[in-house]
Amino acid sequence: MTLEVLLVEDDRELRTTLRDALQVEGYGVHTAASLSEAQALAANTAPDLVILDLGLPDGDGQTLLEQLRQRRNTPVLVVSARQADGQKIALLDAGADDYLVKPFSIGELLARMRVALRHRGTNLQASITHYQSGQLTIDLATHRVQLGDDSPHLTPTEFKLLARLVRNAGQVVTHRQLLTDVWGPEYTEHTHYLRLYMGQLRAKLEADPAEPQLLLTEPGVGYRLQEPDA
Amino acid sequence: MLTRPALAPRPRWQPLLAAAAWVLAWLALLLLDGHVDLANLALLLVMASALASVWLPVSAAVAAGVASVLAFNWTFVPPRNSFAVDLHQHALLLLAMLVVNALVAVLVAGQRHQAQRARQHLREAEQLRSLGEALRDTPEPLAHAAGLRDTMSELTGLQATLLLQKPGSPAMPTGSAAASAGPAPADSELLLGEADADELAGLQHCLRQRHALGPGTGRHDELAAWYLPLRGRDSCHGAALLRLPQHGQGDPALCRHAQALCDQMGQALQRVRTSTAEAQAREQAQLQAVRNALLAAISHDFRTPLATMLGAASSLQEQGERLAPEQRRRLADSLVDEIGQLARLADNTLQLARLDAPGVLLQRDWESAEEIVGEVLRRARRRDTQRRVRARLEPDLPLLRCDALLLTQLLDNLVDNALKYSPADSPVEILVRRQPAHPAQNPSGTPSVDNSQKERLLIAVRDRGPGVPSAWRERIFDVFQRGEAASTDTPPLDSARPGAGVGLAVCRAIARAHGGELRLRARGHGGCSFEFQLEIDPPPAGPSAPAAKGDGRQWAGGAGSTAPA
Repeated sequence: MTLEVLLVEDDRELRTTLRDALQVEGYGVHTAASLSEAQALAANTAPDLVILDLGLPDGDGQTLLEQLRQRRNTPVLVVSARQADGQKIALLDAGADDYLVKPFSIGELLARMRVALRHRGTNLQASITHYQSGQLTIDLATHRVQLGDDSPHLTPTEFKLLARLVRNAGQVVTHRQLLTDVWGPEYTEHTHYLRLYMGQLRAKLEADPAEPQLLLTEPGVGYRLQEPDA
Repeated sequence: MLTRPALAPRPRWQPLLAAAAWVLAWLALLLLDGHVDLANLALLLVMASALASVWLPVSAAVAAGVASVLAFNWTFVPPRNSFAVDLHQHALLLLAMLVVNALVAVLVAGQRHQAQRARQHLREAEQLRSLGEALRDTPEPLAHAAGLRDTMSELTGLQATLLLQKPGSPAMPTGSAAASAGPAPADSELLLGEADADELAGLQHCLRQRHALGPGTGRHDELAAWYLPLRGRDSCHGAALLRLPQHGQGDPALCRHAQALCDQMGQALQRVRTSTAEAQAREQAQLQAVRNALLAAISHDFRTPLATMLGAASSLQEQGERLAPEQRRRLADSLVDEIGQLARLADNTLQLARLDAPGVLLQRDWESAEEIVGEVLRRARRRDTQRRVRARLEPDLPLLRCDALLLTQLLDNLVDNALKYSPADSPVEILVRRQPAHPAQNPSGTPSVDNSQKERLLIAVRDRGPGVPSAWRERIFDVFQRGEAASTDTPPLDSARPGAGVGLAVCRAIARAHGGELRLRARGHGGCSFEFQLEIDPPPAGPSAPAAKGDGRQWAGGAGSTAPA
């Protein structure tokens, strides 16, 4: 079965290039140059994934995200032109799956899409409860963390934080989402909690905490747990 | 500045003095009567008359002289107690007395007038001189407007009013008929003193027409005041209202003097306006030169990767079929690399422009230096396949209040530079450590609590490259002072430093935005160290035990900012 991708991008060159590249990879691609067009296409074609460029002439993408979230849990990849983009973070906080900053390579795009499609429909099916990357194995159901032959001891809060990242393994999780889900909605400004606990988690799980390979930082946005093996 | 009025009214005691002279003379006459000759008595009287004319107005002096001659005739000339004169010689004496009295009175009055004029000229010259002195080098002539107003007020004894154009506003060109004839001073005008609507309209009219109005000026002679323009070389910068004591009266000389004072002020205003405009033009030209140099440097930096990219892409486009797969692969790799460089350059250029703008807002948050360095390392590894970059971080570093994106960009640029400009097998080090506060050496010996006392974090990127000639250690941060810059006294920098201009300039701008200063230091055994320091803010309260939501078990972590084991 071909996976259908809705590509919302107002620049014609980029739209054509991405469409061709995605078609080579075997995706069915619908393209839209504006939000209104995208909304019509989203209603009619039921895409499996949406690539949404911000900075469209007719809106900020929030309405499209809401529309997609109402019907199914269609993954949304946000593409923004600037690293420090408040709109991008707002959409991620509101449930967009991941983001890319222009310019990005096809490789990056495909990797993000792969992860997003793996998480597709997680609100209906059981969430990803098992994570394995290199030496590290995490099982959320049994609260087990295994690092090679070792089983590092995590405090409950550390485990909650790790579990939250596991549920979106390979995807960015914003500071706000992490703080809300681990500490509570009244802690959304306490980013320093995250710094401390991520430091502790890295100390326990990373081979070289100064150069993390698993618990990655997305400056100004949030954290990303390295995509699991296979 | 002189404070005495130019037209001093005759003091009140002067007629008294004259009367006293007369009384004394008559007393002497009566005493000496019969003892001396009539002609000698007459001389006494002539003397009194001369004295009195020093103190009396000319008409009064002449009248008093005639009266005294008549009285002398009545009293002393035989036959006494009558105006009849017996002897011819007495008639001659009386006539001579009359003539001499009148002559003396007129001459003395003339002399007195001359002296008064001379004094007045002196006073006027002094006023002009001291105003000129005050205005000569002042950058703000408006500050002396009150002094001018006081001086003008003293000329007539009534409060003068000034209407001045503020230096920032365009001067009123001669004869321009601007439409702002409202009763209120315009925003560009400054009113000094009181003026009713009519007077204000008069001032504005005078300012626009650049002509004096009022009695004796040939324009609106019916006015009870002078309206004098503050004239500059080719424009008018204000107007003065000089009210006159009596209606329709006004000394033309006084008017000329007041106009001279006004013009002096006008010229000072003109001078300031000219020099302000000059400075603005100079600044504008300088800004333009900087902008041009910046654009030239940036466009050079942009063209280099673009040339490589176009070369590779057009080769693929036109020769694609004939190229070996390996060649195609190399071209594609080169394209991707150069695009990466171009993207970095664009990021840096945009960031530089953003940080250059006034009122930049940083997205400050509590950030961990380990995390930022970790992310920089991860990015560097894509280019750093030999793993030359190492991080050395002091354990338990405090959190930093900073903009993580900017700081990442800063370190990423420095690491990129270090990788490019040091030998391919030499290490590059990212160093982060606490910089203990040095107590300031203040004379009192008591440690003061200021910024220099705060503990700081030293962040450095160090390489073992060829280093940078000392002449370039500051200039390397200037975006438009790069490499082969046409400088006469500094050796050209290693020509293989493309793009260092914008990259280092943005690094310094980011450090400055965080209150630090990026510096280049030569290292002991070769190579250089780019380093800056950031203040460590007091850490926020750490998470407390019940913080974790729905966490049934007791969490045994330490409070505060230290990481629990």
